[in-house]
Amino acid sequence: MDALIARADAIQPLAKRRRTEYTPGRSSHPTSHEISANGSETTKPAHPDPTAASISRNTALPASLRPTSPPPSSAHTHKHIKNKSLRLTLDRQSAHSARTKELIKDAELLTSALGAEHGRIEVDDEMEKTWRVGQKDIVSGAGQEAAKGRKEWVLDGGGYRARYTRNGRHLAIVGKTGHVATFDWQSGTMHAELQLRETCQDITFLHDHSHFAVAQNKYVFIYDQDGVELHRLSAHVEPTRLEFLPYHWLLASIGRPGFLKYTDTSTGQLVTSHRTKLGSCSTLAQNPHTAVLYLGHQNGQVTLWTPNLPHPAVRLLAHMGGVTGLSVDPSEEGGRYMATSGVDGRVKVWDCRNWKGAVREWGARGGGAEVEWSQRGSLAVASGGSVNIYNPPTIHAPHTAHSPPPLYMTHPIPHRPLSGLRFCPFQDILTVGHAKGLSSILVPGSGEPNFDSSEADPFETRKARREREVRGLLDKIQPDMISLDPSFIGSLAPPPKLTTTDGQPADIPFARLPRMERLKVQGKADETEENDDDDHHHYNDGGGDDDGAEAAKGPRKTKEEKEKTKMRGKGKSMKRFLRKKRKNVIDPAAVAIRAKLDKQREERRKAKEVQMGGDEGVRKPSALDRFKRKT
Amino acid sequence: MKISVLQHAPSAHLPARRGDPTPTSRNLDPKMHPFARARERIRALNATKMERMFSKPFVASLDGHIDAVEVLARKPGSLTAVASGSWDGGILLHDLAERVQVLRLQGAHKGKVSGLCFSEGDRLLSCGVDRNVKLWDTRTSSDGGGSREGEAGPSEERKPLNVFAGKFAFNSIDHHRSEPRFATASNLVQLWDETKNTPISNLTFPTSTETVTSVRFNLSESSVLASIGSDRTFTLYDIRTGKAERRVVMQMRSNALNWSPIFPTTILLASEDHNLYTFDIRQLSTPTQIYKAHVAAVMSCDWSPTGTEFVSGGWDRTVRIWKEGVGRAPEVYHTKRMQRVTSSIYTADARFVLSGSDDGNVRLWKARASDKLGVVNTREKAAMEYRDSLKQRWNMDAEIGRVSRSRRLPQPVHKAAKLKHTMLEARRVKEERRRKHTRAGESKPKAERKKIVLAEQS
Repeated sequence: MDALIARADAIQPLAKRRRTEYTPGRSSHPTSHEISANGSETTKPAHPDPTAASISRNTALPASLRPTSPPPSSAHTHKHIKNKSLRLTLDRQSAHSARTKELIKDAELLTSALGAEHGRIEVDDEMEKTWRVGQKDIVSGAGQEAAKGRKEWVLDGGGYRARYTRNGRHLAIVGKTGHVATFDWQSGTMHAELQLRETCQDITFLHDHSHFAVAQNKYVFIYDQDGVELHRLSAHVEPTRLEFLPYHWLLASIGRPGFLKYTDTSTGQLVTSHRTKLGSCSTLAQNPHTAVLYLGHQNGQVTLWTPNLPHPAVRLLAHMGGVTGLSVDPSEEGGRYMATSGVDGRVKVWDCRNWKGAVREWGARGGGAEVEWSQRGSLAVASGGSVNIYNPPTIHAPHTAHSPPPLYMTHPIPHRPLSGLRFCPFQDILTVGHAKGLSSILVPGSGEPNFDSSEADPFETRKARREREVRGLLDKIQPDMISLDPSFIGSLAPPPKLTTTDGQPADIPFARLPRMERLKVQGKADETEENDDDDHHHYNDGGGDDDGAEAAKGPRKTKEEKEKTKMRGKGKSMKRFLRKKRKNVIDPAAVAIRAKLDKQREERRKAKEVQMGGDEGVRKPSALDRFKRKT
Repeated sequence: MKISVLQHAPSAHLPARRGDPTPTSRNLDPKMHPFARARERIRALNATKMERMFSKPFVASLDGHIDAVEVLARKPGSLTAVASGSWDGGILLHDLAERVQVLRLQGAHKGKVSGLCFSEGDRLLSCGVDRNVKLWDTRTSSDGGGSREGEAGPSEERKPLNVFAGKFAFNSIDHHRSEPRFATASNLVQLWDETKNTPISNLTFPTSTETVTSVRFNLSESSVLASIGSDRTFTLYDIRTGKAERRVVMQMRSNALNWSPIFPTTILLASEDHNLYTFDIRQLSTPTQIYKAHVAAVMSCDWSPTGTEFVSGGWDRTVRIWKEGVGRAPEVYHTKRMQRVTSSIYTADARFVLSGSDDGNVRLWKARASDKLGVVNTREKAAMEYRDSLKQRWNMDAEIGRVSRSRRLPQPVHKAAKLKHTMLEARRVKEERRRKHTRAGESKPKAERKKIVLAEQS
């Protein structure tokens, strides 16, 4: 019968079971699956697996669907993994991610090659200073389209503040006495103009230019594009500053009572209200990368808030006296740098990863300065009667002397006080509010030259705007996902509580342990890290096979090795003596012998560790620790 | 001194002509895409919710049987023709596309029709507990098969082409893949030739006294035959030697078996102990995978033609769709009026699943519950593929996993599952304590999959 089944190829005789044991020395036969996975041709195996041969015609990937290019050299292979399907999946994933990375690099090259060039002022020699260049020179040197950005709006509404939409196309302005206007500043189309006839503190656009919110005398009001009042947010009492978090659809306000309130503008619900307990507050900024709100208080504190924490996530004494200006650098990943200014006349730049002291600080003439970062990391400081602009990287280069960084540009404005500073996204424009209206000045190199149409497009059509609105609503992030470190989403789960590695003797049967723990106990856990560094590519090069073999051999020992390390000589006379002494009888002789033995054992262990090259004294947790008796 | 100020030419960002698409620009700098991960997660969550929202798997119910449906058979080479046999002895031939009965053979057998399979051409073989195997011509006048009188629609007076008489009641029938032979299961496995009226060989394991409940030919190694019996055995035969080659005795009896269409050595068994097992017949001592979710005996199983999925119907009134190699959390289908599911098959295009149940209806389900039937345009298809990849990428997320796993079950099934879980847990805890405090703990515990097979005989 065996002969017959063997001829039939489908059933193999019992005696000739397929070899399932993994032997690292022997290279496994590449099947059609492997060919299809890595796209490279392999030689025909010497003894074809009859089952694989019979099914390959039906299961192999057709040639037209196989990837034409070989996997990039930066892709990892996982030769040390025994399970073939897992290995192939991991190989495929790493090849895919390596390909993606290459494509992104290509796209970046293309963007920098074909996209717009960012603005700059280039000096020819050392003696030329960029800050000597005035707006007149810049306007005359700028292109016709760019020169339109230089504007003076003379208005009589008191101190003005301004705010751009995220695509930089539309501008909303508000004056102290209640003059509100929104307009497309490029085409000059006015959307709405209102005389509210009460004190207005701040204005902000919501998700796009079709809605805006105004912080008025008593409450926050929401208006639509045509200036029709839509909502009165009576929960926001006596507001002074407004911020809109576009990806969470949250409108936040801070006011004289010192309450930070979040309203979800897609549902109209008041999400949270935080009592700051620090009195009236008039400085508010958002971190565009984490959606954390930064408050600057009258007593010189800066506090960081998220909707899900009832207390500030960070509390920082930034200035002696009140904080008047606050801004977070959008050009660094995660909003790494923060700039603050206070009535004490200091401007400070902080590294948000390390709050121990400012990275750089200097004095600003006049006191009570306001600060604002641009998209490409230029810092504008408005103090006294002028606006100073500094460029990276000197702004956040650590510097012990309290001197200002080298000045990039300066622009005097005679109408004090200067109240609102806003850079226009995707343009080299800075808009400054003051007592006599607003002035827009050109700051070459402040704006990001290449926009992404899926996020913010200055030239988007009406249809695209409506589609983006719907898409934004569908992708709305819940307020409780805001945290100081937004990368916790999609990262590894915290380690489980059932563990054998923390030294605690766990009283959990083997079958109930999590899979990783079971593998660890068996010594089969593969904890080799998947790294993007270049020095980890050893799996890929010629020595890959040997490394894989080494890794596989690590936990596993050959029969001879096992025999060699097998514990022998259990019945020593000393141990027998100790065993005979009952444990509940405290015999000083036995105690002394036990202590001596323990000491000897420890010394032996240390000597062995030193011999093995490890650092002595620090004992690695072992799987066997769970069997250790509690002392 | 050189001064350059950034400016965008509007002409580059506006369509060149009327009707042109608006040009878009991309910047892949991650700073331009804040919260990319959080937004992708939300998209994945929405995709998962949409999948659950659109999972309406029930397509149609094909009625016509007076009593419970016992057996279903699909016609090889046809997407729409499916035959069903019932306890009242009637056989129906359904057209799935039109959802009509093409042919009705009322009283084909006395007592229940226990087996159905298609033969060469349009012929249908049926067996029953009346100890007869009958060969039918299923062609109707509209097919152009002019052998019948020219009536349209279901005919009742149709006579079988041939009747094969046996000695015992038949339990199952299966046709050879290529030759005009078929095998029947009664007290023994018999091999018949379509042209001869007596069996050409009797196959039985030497020591067997069982009743064979089901028999199936291997699809690619077509001379290999497998059967299951009432004495908890599973037997392999070879019709060339005419002998039973190997037999496996298991803990509980199996109710149905099926060979994988893609992997010739893989066989699927639906067991009385609520589980399904796949075996590699080269290694019969342990199953390759245990499939646990039913809360009553599994009555039927069938592989998808792709061999990556299979369907099972159970005594617990549910139909479940499993992925090959994934032993838990299958897709569950149920309706208020569906009774014990006695038979379940995949259609030949792997898009639909059919179930026959005790209430006398044949039900048609989608194989993927949230599939859209009908025309799907390219953009919609691209969106679906994007959603699928999102779901796949984020399936480890706690909330997304919770949404995608949640299934509403009928209360009796839910309660039975809970009770079963409680009982198994209690048994496990007891075993753990026993191992902890007695000498039983000195030996290694026996793996679950090694408890299934009691003996392997050859």
